[in-house]
Amino acid sequence: MDLRLPAKNTFTGVFEFKKHEFEVAMTCEGCSGAVTRILNKLGDVKFEIDLPNKLVWIESDKDVDFLTETLKKCGKDVKYNGTK
Amino acid sequence: LSSVSLGVEGMTCGSCVQSIEQRIGTLPGVIHIKVSLEQKNATVLFDQSHQSPESLSEAIEEMGFESSLSV
Ligand SMILES: [Cu+2]
Ligand SMILES: [Cu+2]
Repeated sequence: MDLRLPAKNTFTGVFEFKKHEFEVAMTCEGCSGAVTRILNKLGDVKFEIDLPNKLVWIESDKDVDFLTETLKKCGKDVKYNGTK
Repeated sequence: LSSVSLGVEGMTCGSCVQSIEQRIGTLPGVIHIKVSLEQKNATVLFDQSHQSPESLSEAIEEMGFESSLSV
């Protein structure tokens, strides 16, 4: 039995996007919940939120300006820290 | 002018209340807004030529909170 994968499967892995780090002035679970809902609406982003350190990491093909404006919708100050 | 009460879910403290009051309060056509954490709602006095219950509810949703028209 031939267990080799067909060549066309070689590139079907998940696309790797840069991990952008943002500082969002979140103060409570309400803030992190709001950020979660806002990012979920984008649909195609992977993200992590660190509430105590007020950090949000986002993996997306969207540009930084767009992501910054999106995060600002929660009403908190947003600062871009660069990629990780 | 018209007044509406909207349901707001997802707030946990006074700072949530504040950010909603600040942001929605500065939208064109919004005369006054009072958000209640306990009652999970927002009472908004607005000018119908600029806003509607739907647009206000939508604006709250945009901020990442869940909002409903019927309280
Ligand atoms: Cu908060
Ligand atoms: Cu809060």
